[in-house]
Amino acid sequence: MTARAEHPMTRAEILEALPDLTDEELDALIRTGAVLPVASAAGPLFRGIDVARLRLILELEDFYALDGERLALVMSLIDQLNGLRGDMRAMLQAVAAEEPETRARLRRVIRETRVTITRED
Amino acid sequence: MADDPYAALGVPKTASEADIKKAYRRIAKTDHPDLTADTAAHDRFKAASAAYDLLKDPEQRARFDRGEIDAQGQERPQRRYYRDFAEAGDNPYRGQSNYGDFSDVFEDLFGGRARPGAGGPRGFQGGGAGSFDMRGSDHRYTLEVDFMTAARGGTTRITLPDGHALDVQIPAGTRDGQTIRLRGQGGPGMGNADAGDALLTITVADDPDWRRNGDDVVTTLPITLDEAVLGGKVEAQTIDGPVMLTVPRGASSGQRLRLRGRGLKRANGTRGDQHVELKIVMPPRIDDALAEFIANWRADNAYDPRRGQQ
Repeated sequence: MTARAEHPMTRAEILEALPDLTDEELDALIRTGAVLPVASAAGPLFRGIDVARLRLILELEDFYALDGERLALVMSLIDQLNGLRGDMRAMLQAVAAEEPETRARLRRVIRETRVTITRED
Repeated sequence: MADDPYAALGVPKTASEADIKKAYRRIAKTDHPDLTADTAAHDRFKAASAAYDLLKDPEQRARFDRGEIDAQGQERPQRRYYRDFAEAGDNPYRGQSNYGDFSDVFEDLFGGRARPGAGGPRGFQGGGAGSFDMRGSDHRYTLEVDFMTAARGGTTRITLPDGHALDVQIPAGTRDGQTIRLRGQGGPGMGNADAGDALLTITVADDPDWRRNGDDVVTTLPITLDEAVLGGKVEAQTIDGPVMLTVPRGASSGQRLRLRGRGLKRANGTRGDQHVELKIVMPPRIDDALAEFIANWRADNAYDPRRGQQ
């Protein structure tokens, strides 16, 4: 399997790499925007992210019998989650680079707004 | 993966094909790396999918049961999950985030990144439905063009996801990452409103022969041994077609000749330069006469191009 290839895959290559994916299904996924390959004069090109996304979509369809709008909803949630996770990671990295006093201040604010401390007597 | 694929899936050796599939799905639902952040789950999923790959094929399974192949034979190359790509700041599938009162703070910290924008995948973005007039959504695509088309300008015919073909005018001097807007080629408007636009982000494909450096382009020109020694006129390719270039007498590999105004077109209409890097290519065969001549020549003219190097 060559999913991580630096080179984007052509349509024929992706159909070969993902045997569970049919021609018609791929067309349908492109049409609905579930996957957005790079356009080129030679036809669509699938980047690493497109290949990984297609693979996940096929699995979700298989595991949960998802399709159409349900699939769109799940993928949208996954995209939001991944985006937030990336943002959170960047934020934590920035915080980690701060002085201990700054972090202590941040911790106080976060605890006030976000953390419920339960006390057992 | 575990040595025992049956154990990885938690099924007995006598399990039916359907049972195996069921077991795999059950594990995948809870342990898929794109659906959970638990790393122990990732390992379980990896083992289960390798096991499933082996056991789903009755022939392979029979061979494994007979001891002809081992489970390791099925180890597949490290898979890259969607999240590996999707957490990146420039994930083209992610829509815009909204942090309400803190939008300014978010913009301050995260703003200005290469964001494919509010688009997100069409139909996959829950655009507000309503019965009023609303301009159609902009559709975003990435379009890859080859180096020459981007440099010279030209027309590229592409097929949009909805199946209709479109001729896109690529302006001369288009750079990687530039966006071309096609009015009215996006989503249909609601009511009496206009259709949205198609926004094409251009990716310029790498070309082994042409490198870009700002507004300048760099090419490599192979020259013969005699051209290097004697100098002469040699044909070189430019964006505008071939030109005759004067190679100086005694040229070296790596030497650069500048062709003014043969680079990429700038926004103000002027152009960058082209740098032609010379590369001496030896004849395919060194015959005795050449070798003998060089040996004699060396006797009187030895020189050390490595002088001063470590």
